[in-house]
Amino acid sequence: MKPAVFDRLQQLPREKSDTLLLLVAALMVLVPHFGHLPLWNSLAVCAILLWRAVLTWRGRRMPSIRVLLPVSVASMAGVYASYGTVVGRDPGVAMLALLLAFKLLEMRARRDLFVVVFLALFVLLTNFFYSQSMPTALFMVATLIVLLTALQTFQYTGVVPPLGQRLKLSARLFALAAPLAVLIFIVFPRIQGPLWGMPGDAAGRTGLSDSMAPGTLSSLAQSEEVAFRVRFTGSQPPQHQLYWRSIVLGAYDGSTWTRVPRLRGVQRPDIAIALRGAPVRQEITMEPSGQRWLAVLELGGPQVAMPGYGVRDSDEMEYFTTTPVNRRARYSVTSYTDYALQANAQPPSLVRWLELPAGFNPRTLALARQLRQDSPQQDGAGLSRQVLDKFRREAFSYTLQPPLGGRDLVDDFLFTSRAGFCEHYAGAYVVLMRAMGVPARVVTGYQGGERNPVDGYLTVRQSDAHAWAEIWLPGRGWLRVDPTAAVAPERVTRNLARALPAPVGFNPLFALQNDPDSWLAAFRFRYAALNNAWNQYVLDYNPERQRSFLAELGGLLLTWRTALAALLVAGLLALWQWRRQRRAADPLEVLYDAFCRRQARHGDPRQPDEGPAAYAARLRTRPASAEQHAAADRFLLLYGTLKYAAPDTESRTASLATLKTLLPLCR
Amino acid sequence: MAARAQLQAWYRHRRERWLVRRDRGDSGAATGITLTPRRVYILPTRPGLGFAVLLLLMLIGALNYNLGLGFALTFFTGACAVADMFLTTRNLVALKLTAGRAAPVFAGEQAQFEVQLHNPTRRDRFAIVIGFDDDASWKSAASAAVSPPPPHPTDVAAGATSAVVLSAPAPARGWLAAPRIRLATSFPLGLFRAWSYWKPARPKLELAILVYPAPETPAPPLPSHGAASEDGHGAVGLDNFAGIRPYQQGDPMRHLAWRQIARHDPALGGQLVTKQFDGGAVAELALDFAELPAHLGLELRLSRMTQWVLQAELRALPYSLRLGAASYGPALGDAHRAACLSALALYEGPA
Repeated sequence: MKPAVFDRLQQLPREKSDTLLLLVAALMVLVPHFGHLPLWNSLAVCAILLWRAVLTWRGRRMPSIRVLLPVSVASMAGVYASYGTVVGRDPGVAMLALLLAFKLLEMRARRDLFVVVFLALFVLLTNFFYSQSMPTALFMVATLIVLLTALQTFQYTGVVPPLGQRLKLSARLFALAAPLAVLIFIVFPRIQGPLWGMPGDAAGRTGLSDSMAPGTLSSLAQSEEVAFRVRFTGSQPPQHQLYWRSIVLGAYDGSTWTRVPRLRGVQRPDIAIALRGAPVRQEITMEPSGQRWLAVLELGGPQVAMPGYGVRDSDEMEYFTTTPVNRRARYSVTSYTDYALQANAQPPSLVRWLELPAGFNPRTLALARQLRQDSPQQDGAGLSRQVLDKFRREAFSYTLQPPLGGRDLVDDFLFTSRAGFCEHYAGAYVVLMRAMGVPARVVTGYQGGERNPVDGYLTVRQSDAHAWAEIWLPGRGWLRVDPTAAVAPERVTRNLARALPAPVGFNPLFALQNDPDSWLAAFRFRYAALNNAWNQYVLDYNPERQRSFLAELGGLLLTWRTALAALLVAGLLALWQWRRQRRAADPLEVLYDAFCRRQARHGDPRQPDEGPAAYAARLRTRPASAEQHAAADRFLLLYGTLKYAAPDTESRTASLATLKTLLPLCR
Repeated sequence: MAARAQLQAWYRHRRERWLVRRDRGDSGAATGITLTPRRVYILPTRPGLGFAVLLLLMLIGALNYNLGLGFALTFFTGACAVADMFLTTRNLVALKLTAGRAAPVFAGEQAQFEVQLHNPTRRDRFAIVIGFDDDASWKSAASAAVSPPPPHPTDVAAGATSAVVLSAPAPARGWLAAPRIRLATSFPLGLFRAWSYWKPARPKLELAILVYPAPETPAPPLPSHGAASEDGHGAVGLDNFAGIRPYQQGDPMRHLAWRQIARHDPALGGQLVTKQFDGGAVAELALDFAELPAHLGLELRLSRMTQWVLQAELRALPYSLRLGAASYGPALGDAHRAACLSALALYEGPA
């Protein structure tokens, strides 16, 4: 800003500068919305604010309703055109933003100021639909303070202090409010929303779906979004055992894997599960997926505790909720990494896991026949080993951007491109196994995750989405096989970013970020831990968390140590306040007050209309010793001089000392 | 409608009773008053009520969409309102009110009461509105944050004193105690309105104005009789004939200008005229209340005496005033004038 403009800003008349401040506050409220509002909407809002600013600056009159009405109706129509509706969250926000801007153009009475500020506060709240991160929160605090300043600025009736002081007063008001706000935040009874349905509001979230076509997972793998976070209550299993099972896919139509529909009318068979080894307890905080599938470390035990949701499981050991998960949710589960699933199932019940679509992938079927003939051992384990060996030996590569296949996807992958992502390997493997008569299925979920050394949370992102396979062997049940690991073992032992070859146009920062020893990584971990704490304790403070937190807090407060500490702190605060008040008072008056109190104790309080000389004259007539009379006389004389003759600082200090010594000599 | 009026009347009655009882509680206090938290009252303003509705809406929004930060924002905004309530109260608390100078006025004029607001603390106070507590002057200011600012907004800087002059009609002579004073503020955010009252405890010493009788206009000339000087010759103001003027009640019969009256037949619209005299060699003028015809009524006589005192001062004629048993002067000057006018203002009538 040019100094001349700045000078003019400072010399603006009161009304103009107040209005400009309000415009700045409104702009701060609206700016974060520009990211998701339609472009025309953002531009319209900016134009209106600019219009208002120019009118204010030039001192022009505001447009009449005949101009405003058509413009506002047109913009409402624009919202309808952009969203196809005017109800719902996003169009509602667009409407509110326009309303706020138009209200600024229609601000006449002082009452309108409050309407503008209240509207701005509500628009501020709607910003949290789109982002609840820490930077957003900080920006909201700044905006709130500027809004409060705008409101405060309009309240002055005489002197208006400079903007800096007004901002400081608002900041102080905010600081004063903070402890109370935090307290309310902690104890305010939380009700699990929503109060009414939110049609379509949860759409557009990323996550696994219950089907897998080529490209499903590789596109998901490019998302850095967090899928869920895990806290292990015991020790964390090694990285290569972190298979988070979500969905089991068994039906294949030649291009897409889908879940096998449950057989209607057939009684659910008893699933024989043998769980062995030490249990692994996890608490999983899941980001909203808009779906019902949960991810659980293989193999999850029977109980999944998820407050607020009903949880079911399937024959394939999948877990799902009865209603879609539209907000961050938490569940805890106990898993066993050593298990046997359906070890003694009868082959007839496994027929479903052998089906292949007719007329697809002839070269693959031929390969299967040949592998089976060449295999020294005819059992499933041996056949599986042969397939994995083939992946490992031959020039297969692991990539996020595989070439598109034709009609026979598996043929194209196995014989032409030989480049693919986990979904290709898992799919091809299952087709081969089925073709050789071994029951097999695809499992999708997540693999691995990144452990944050700061808070111990394991973060699993969408980029950790993975597909692997399961084959059934007699007597051993369903066994996990990860064909991808045969090609890119790093994918399983480290994480995805390490497994992928360096991207074209090698970015050193990218490498630095993924080097766990670099300072950038350390910073990233710290920030992630802070962010996680933010999610866990601020954004996701739900009824259960509230209950446990209050119980913890209650337990903490009830110990005698904390009670003592609180008393100590309160005492120190009181002492500080007392000292501050004493310092604020004039020492001369403090001494005079003490003198008057002394006399009052003897029945001679100073009358309100009595000066020191008159008081001295009256006291002289009261019974006391000669020394006391002399001291009181001198005291009052000195006081009078100090009070009314305004001596210089040095003699004043000396006289104050004399007064102090005289005081105890008086009656 | 009638029920509403009745309700309002009932409320006003209750309020007045409560205020009077409250005022009585203040008596015995020293000069002035310090606003303690106990005497500062607070209620939300209309925008404050709107703010409560906003908070509710924000809470519902946060609840419905399960917005953690939405809750936080709602609670922070709500807590800001609470802080505002605290700061609004604090804007009045510890303020010291004392009566300022009070110059006497004549009945029928506006009495100007000066109130001094002393701020002994280290924080500035802004936007304090002060006025007399009669409903009419506050009606427009009932939600001061919204409507145009009421007549007396003032700021008091830290450690400073500001004076506000409030005017009230002075209809009758005698001591006029200031009506109950009301102070209000809705600073800093305008969501709450804090107010307090002050009715000085000792009305003759604090915030009270002496109201002199209204000078009679037009008034008869200064009395010319009964003011014989000690050396026995002449009467005051009879030396030079100055002209004639219309007759006024109380003019001495022997001053009637018979020649002029004879020329104009009263039946034809003529009127009585009086000879007017000017100057006077005699040094002093005696104004005796008892000399005025009793049929004029007490107030009119006092008004005339007041006018005469003023006239005498204006013409620099030393005068003495006899009022019942009391006697002032003869003298001239502000102090004498004030003594005479005070005596007239406070005259209780013949004992």
